[in-house]
Amino acid sequence: MTTFAGHLPGLDREDVSWRRVSYESWGETAEIALPDLTEAQARALCRHVRENARARLKRMDVARIVAAIDGASERLLDRTHPLRREAERMLPVVTGYDRETVRLGLTSYLKTFQRPQLLRFLAEDFADPGMLDGFRPARKGGFVRASGPDLLLHVWAGNVPALSLWSLVCGLLVKAGTVGKLASAEPLTAGWFAGLVAEIDPEIGECLAIVWWKGGEEAGEAAFLAEADTVMAYGGNATLAALRAKIPVTTRFLPHGHRIGFGLVAREALDSRRAMALARLAAKDVVRYEQQGCYSPQMIFVERGGGVAPGEFARYLAHELAALAHRHPRRTLSSGEGASVAAWRGAQEMRATGDAAVLLGAPEDPFSVVHLDAATPLAPTGLNRTLALVSVDSLDEVPALVAPHRAFLQTAAIAAAPAALFRLAESLASVGVSRLAAFGAMASPEPGWHHDGRFSLLDLVTMTEIDQAAEAAAEGFAPYVD
Amino acid sequence: MTQAEIIEELLAFLDLPEADEVAFEAMALRVFAYQFRNNAPYRRFATQRGRTPLTVRRWRDIPAVPIDAFKTLTLSCCPPDEAERVFMTSGTTQGVRGRSHHPTLAVWERSMLPTFRRRVMRGRERIRMGILFPDESELPNSSLAHYLALARRECGAPGSRVFIGPDGLDLDGLLADLARAEAEGEPYALLGASYAFVPLLDALAERGLTVRLPEGSLVFDTGGFKGQSRELGPDEFYDALSAAFGVPRSACLNMYGMTELSSQFYDDGNETSPPVKSGPHWVRSRVVDPLTGADLPEGERGVLVHHDLAHFNCVSAILTEDAGQIVPGGFRLFGRVDGADSRGCSVAVAEFLAAARG
Repeated sequence: MTTFAGHLPGLDREDVSWRRVSYESWGETAEIALPDLTEAQARALCRHVRENARARLKRMDVARIVAAIDGASERLLDRTHPLRREAERMLPVVTGYDRETVRLGLTSYLKTFQRPQLLRFLAEDFADPGMLDGFRPARKGGFVRASGPDLLLHVWAGNVPALSLWSLVCGLLVKAGTVGKLASAEPLTAGWFAGLVAEIDPEIGECLAIVWWKGGEEAGEAAFLAEADTVMAYGGNATLAALRAKIPVTTRFLPHGHRIGFGLVAREALDSRRAMALARLAAKDVVRYEQQGCYSPQMIFVERGGGVAPGEFARYLAHELAALAHRHPRRTLSSGEGASVAAWRGAQEMRATGDAAVLLGAPEDPFSVVHLDAATPLAPTGLNRTLALVSVDSLDEVPALVAPHRAFLQTAAIAAAPAALFRLAESLASVGVSRLAAFGAMASPEPGWHHDGRFSLLDLVTMTEIDQAAEAAAEGFAPYVD
Repeated sequence: MTQAEIIEELLAFLDLPEADEVAFEAMALRVFAYQFRNNAPYRRFATQRGRTPLTVRRWRDIPAVPIDAFKTLTLSCCPPDEAERVFMTSGTTQGVRGRSHHPTLAVWERSMLPTFRRRVMRGRERIRMGILFPDESELPNSSLAHYLALARRECGAPGSRVFIGPDGLDLDGLLADLARAEAEGEPYALLGASYAFVPLLDALAERGLTVRLPEGSLVFDTGGFKGQSRELGPDEFYDALSAAFGVPRSACLNMYGMTELSSQFYDDGNETSPPVKSGPHWVRSRVVDPLTGADLPEGERGVLVHHDLAHFNCVSAILTEDAGQIVPGGFRLFGRVDGADSRGCSVAVAEFLAAARG
C-alpha cells in the first residue's frame, strides 16, 4: 500500500506527479509517494498559500491558531487515533528507529504543542503576544505590531521523527503562510499534522502546504526559493551554503546547521549511589535517535576525584548501553554508517594500544564506549551509539576543549552542584553553548526553548511601529481637534 | 627469528613459482610471529584483540590493522632510524602522513619486479616508457616514484624518460616522444598517476590532437584522482585514454597499490569496469564486514583486507578503506568506502574535519 505524503491545498492528487520511494527497516517495507510538482504547480501553490494567508490567516486571532494546533496535537497524542496508529506503524520502518523510541519521541514532542505550552512559546518571545493580532502600546511609547512573513518556506532535513513540527508550529503561531519541504528521511509527520490542522480549521488548512522536491536542480526548487519571503533551512554546512547561494538577497535566510552535543559530569555526581543512575540517563541520551539529533551527546567529560573514577563510570555507561539495547535495539546500519562506526572504532583501538585509552564493547556489540584518560578536545564519534568519555582534572578545563568548535555547539548536559552549574554555564555560554540540559533530557528541549540560541518566533516576524510622534501628530488631524 | 633470517626466508618464498593455501598460511604465521615479537604497537593491538601467535592458527585470523593507524603509530619491527627507506603517503589527514619503514628494499623490489614483468611487460624484455610522475630524486619518500624508477631502470628501453619535472608536465616533450613512437612504429608504454592523465587528455582535446600508438603499446595508470584533478568515472576515463592514444581499453592497465604494502595488484586491462584484480602468490585478500571484521561470503561487497607477506617489517595484514568483492581469480575494487553523514542533524566526522580545515 502506498502512503501519499504532503498536503497540497488547491491541487488534485490526480494532477500531481508522484515519486514513489521505498523504505525498509525491521523486516518491513513501506512505499511512500512524494509530490513532485512542476514549476507552474509550485508557483500556483505558493500563490494560493500566500493569498489565503493574507486574506484569512493574518486576520485570525492567534488564539484560533493555537486552538487548531492544540487540536491536531491532541489527536496525535491519542494512541487510538488512526493517524497516531499509522505514525507508530510507519515511522519505525521509514526512519529505522525502534518502535519504543518513536512512540516515546512522538509523545514527548507533541506534548510540547498543546495549548498551555503554545502560550509559553508566545510568552517567551513576546512581552505582549497581542501584538501578533494588532498594534499594542510599546513600552518606549507609540504602538507596535508583529507580522510574520506572507510566505515562509521550511526546508527540513534528517530522520528524527516529527522534528519538523517545531518550526512548522512556530511559523503558524506568527501567522505565516507556510510551505514546508519534507525531508526524504522522514516525509510523513508534517503532512499528517497539516492534514489534521486543515480538518480542524479548513481556513488555516488553505494557508499551509507540505511539499517535496529532490534537493538540487529540479524545477520546483527554484520556484519555491524565489517565492518565499523567509527561508528556514536545516542541514549540513554544504547543503546550507548551496541553498543560500540560490536565495535572493532580499529573502531572510535562517539556517540551522548540524550540531554536536556533549556532557559534563562533576565529581560530586559520582558517588556510588548516584553514578549508576546518571549513567542510565546519559545512555538514554545516546540511544535516543541514535545520536542523530543536534542535541545528542557524542562526548562526555568526567571529572576525576569523585567516588567513582571516570574509567569506572565508562564501564557503567557501557553496561547501561548494553542493557538499553534490549529495549531499544539498534537498527541494521547502512554500509556507510557501518564504515563510520568501524573507522571510529579502529582509531580508538589504535589509541588503546597506548596506555591512555580503553575501548569498551566488542565489534559485534551495538555500542562502543572509549575512555580517554587524557584531556581531549571535542570531536565527533562514529554516531549510532559510539561515545567517547574523557577524564579531566576539573570541569573548568572543558570550555577550552570545546571552544574551537563554536560553530557546532548547542546542547551540553551537565550533572553538577548549583554553584558549579552556574559557574560552568557562564564559561560555556561564552564559547557558544546555547543550552544546558539535564542528563536524560538532552533530546527533549523545553517548549519555548531558543533553538541554536535564537528566537523561534521573534526571528520570523517584522515589527511595525507607530512612532509616538506620529500618534501625537495624528491628534492634530482628528475631527475633534480644537 | 632475526631480521636477516626472515628476509632470507621471504626471498626464498617469493622465488617459489606458486604457493598454495597451506604454504601461504605457514609463511603468514611465521611473519605474524615475527611482527608480533618485534613491533610493539602491533603486539598491543593484537593482544587487545586476543590474537597472539599462540592463539592464531589460520592466516585469516591474523589481526588486520586499519590503514589509518600508519598515520598515528610507528609500525616498524626495526628501530625506525635504521630504515634504509621510509615511504610516506601523499594524502594527509590534518597534516599527518602514513609511513612505512623498510630496513632494506630488497624484499620490496623482489616483490615489485617479477610481478611487474609478468603483469605489465608480459614476456617483453624492455619497452620505451614515458612517465607521468615526478622522478624519485624529487620524491624520495614516494613508493610510486621508486616503483616507476625501478620499472624504467629494469624494463625501460633506451630513451625512456620522466615527463613531469619541477615545472610540471613537459607537454611538448611528451607529444614529440609520442609522435616519434607513432612514426617509428615502436610500441610505447605511457605510465603515471591516474590524475596526471586528466590534464594531458584536456591538453590533447584542446589542441585537437589524437595519438595512434603502435600495436603493443599500453597505458598504465594508478592511484585514482585523489582530488588532484577532476574525477572521471572509470568508463569515461578509459574511453578517453583509448580514444586519445589509440590503444584498446584491454591495453589500459591499472595498478592498485599503496604505501602501506610492499606488493601491488594488477588487472588484465580495463575492457569492462571494474576488472578483476589480483596480486602475486605472497599476497592474499579478504573482504570483511567493516564492523565485525568477519569474512563475507564470496561475491558480497565489503571492505578489503590485504595480507602482504612482503611487507614484513611493518604489518602484513591491512584493513583498507576500499570497498571490494571477492570473485573467482581475485577481487573487484569499487573505490573508497565513505563514512555516512548523519541521517539527522548531528555533526559527523567528515563535516567536522572539513570545518577544521577551514
